[in-house]
Amino acid sequence: MLSPAQPRSLLCELTYRCNLQCPYCYNPLDLGSSRDELDADAWLRVIDEAAALGVVQFGFSGGEPTLRRDLLVRAIARVTELGGYANLITQGTFLDEAYLAELLAAGLAHVQISIQAPGAELAAIIAGTDVHERKLAALRMIAQSDVALTLNCVLHRLNHDTLPEVLAFAEREGVRRLELANVQFYGWAYKNRGALMPTREQVRSGAALVAQASERLRGRMDITYVLPDYFEELPKPCMHGWGQLALTVTPDGRILPCPAAAAIATLRFPNVRDMSLERAWHVSEAFTAYRGTDWMPDPCRSCDRREIDWGGCRCQAFLLTGNAAATDPACAKSPDHALVEAFRDAAADAAFVPRRPSTLRQAQGDKLRA
Amino acid sequence: MLEAVPAYRLARGVRLRLSDDGGELLVPEGIVSLSESAAAILELVDGRRDQAAIAAMLAERFEAPVAELSRDVAELLAALIERGFVQC
Repeated sequence: MLSPAQPRSLLCELTYRCNLQCPYCYNPLDLGSSRDELDADAWLRVIDEAAALGVVQFGFSGGEPTLRRDLLVRAIARVTELGGYANLITQGTFLDEAYLAELLAAGLAHVQISIQAPGAELAAIIAGTDVHERKLAALRMIAQSDVALTLNCVLHRLNHDTLPEVLAFAEREGVRRLELANVQFYGWAYKNRGALMPTREQVRSGAALVAQASERLRGRMDITYVLPDYFEELPKPCMHGWGQLALTVTPDGRILPCPAAAAIATLRFPNVRDMSLERAWHVSEAFTAYRGTDWMPDPCRSCDRREIDWGGCRCQAFLLTGNAAATDPACAKSPDHALVEAFRDAAADAAFVPRRPSTLRQAQGDKLRA
Repeated sequence: MLEAVPAYRLARGVRLRLSDDGGELLVPEGIVSLSESAAAILELVDGRRDQAAIAAMLAERFEAPVAELSRDVAELLAALIERGFVQC
């Protein structure tokens, strides 16, 4: 299929490093080494190339992007200079007045800040460290600044029952945009799926609660509730189609069609160290493999939703079936749909593995054995 | 001092990007395409002008009847207020 004219959004994952250990992180299990991180000049070149290609929405994420302070400020300034829009996706624990002022001066437009739970105790269990008060301070500081703010809380089995308190918290803090996203099972979340899978009852009551709150808070708070697609009959239209609108560049320079795509072991991804974004977008195998509808097997190929759902999610198809070109098993029409049911039924109240670099796990393991 | 008529402004984190054939409203993690006439209206949303002032300026620029433009302005701004992209 002909490549679409232009991508509109780029997610820049500046680092995989993070002081939190959330067990649902979508980052790869192999977090790599900070020595492999792209330097500032490489990132500025990526931003220039993206803007030339048509990107206007730039996201800065990680890991925790604020850990690369000088780079982050310069990158946002470059985005602003090029007429783009800079979003920062952060957990907020490194922000103070001076840092935020630098980001604002560079032209930052929007901050999405996360909480793990509405209360400190549960938040510390999920994040593996007690930073709730620091997050709260950052949230309030951003709310008073001249930048748009979205509060994000990833929902899963361990915190789903606190949904009423999350809503009350957001209302109390005067949040205008609230994103309640049920965990998506990639990266660490896939590894921890048993412990994180919400119950059917949690999902059912959650959707009802959010619908009520949205009605009550209309005009004051905009609430997005992302359903877990294992509980639906239709797959999500992942990324609005593979290679249609968006690019992600990882801390080590890989160019991906979606933030979770590195999990697809059968694809080779280009790297900004040796390929331009333009070439990656238009001709690389990774971007053209599942673009459009030509690659589709049945039931997608003959489905009248093929240009609505785009076959669902390639990463999920790969993780569950080993074949990235399969129909997303989340779809009820998929011949592999039973995998999703088994996946759902594997849920249990169980321990999870915190997200940590393997060297740290290794070090702790050594200590335990010593 | 309280103003008798509300002035309109883009909400926090909402930015207008003009192009030859209209423009786009850049919003948190999103893009809203604008027709040429919508872009012309939003260009005049500056936190000081009210609906009548915006319509009057458009009438002069496009040499069109104010009443008609006034309706267009009201319609667009109401839709964008509903979505949280414009405030008054």
